Amino acid sequence: MSASYEQGITLEGDLHARPAGALAVAAGRFAAVISVTAGGHTADAKSVLGVMGLGATSGQHLTVTASGPDAREAVAALIAILSEATKVGG
Amino acid sequence: MSTPTVGIVLVSHSAELAAGAAHLASQVSGGTVTIIAAGGTDDGDLGTSAAKVADGLRHANQGAGVVVLPDLGSAVLTVKAVLEDYGEAATVLLADAPFVEGAVAATVTAAAGGDVKAVAAAAEEARHVRKL
Repeated sequence: MSASYEQGITLEGDLHARPAGALAVAAGRFAAVISVTAGGHTADAKSVLGVMGLGATSGQHLTVTASGPDAREAVAALIAILSEATKVGG
Repeated sequence: MSTPTVGIVLVSHSAELAAGAAHLASQVSGGTVTIIAAGGTDDGDLGTSAAKVADGLRHANQGAGVVVLPDLGSAVLTVKAVLEDYGEAATVLLADAPFVEGAVAATVTAAAGGDVKAVAAAAEEARHVRKL
């Protein structure tokens, strides 16, 4: 049994290909199972195509959920990337 | 990072298509993965080149293996012919995947440190991801 962590963020820009790529690359380095939810759809954070397929746009609320040994670090890292990478768009 | 990442070889009938897909995959994945575009014939026409594929395999292999993505039918034949003569076939996987989506998904997984099996699997999963 490992703890599950969750944190939300309101996007300051659209989740274009490059921020989605940065998110998936970072997610892939964690052992935790990580998902991203926006607009009622959920994607595997490690799947760049899944993340891009969310079509998340500026102003939308997005939630990162992780469970596993490094879940807390994973959520913190991905929220930081989302905060930074969507500022200038992709 | 000092650990080598899996390299990617994109084999297309079109040099421009291979180069464009490589550029896109590199941009999306942050530019840390070696992606080799092996497109067109040796004369620059539409088609595939065994020599370009073989060169691509050598340049893409940084020590962690290579995943090869072909675009259309005869590109697969060219890659298979090259792999028959390639010395380290166990470290090279041919992915059955949509070309653009597979290239992007494979490169992102390679950038995250995935091994050849994980990178090839990411490419092949691209078949099942809906765009709409």
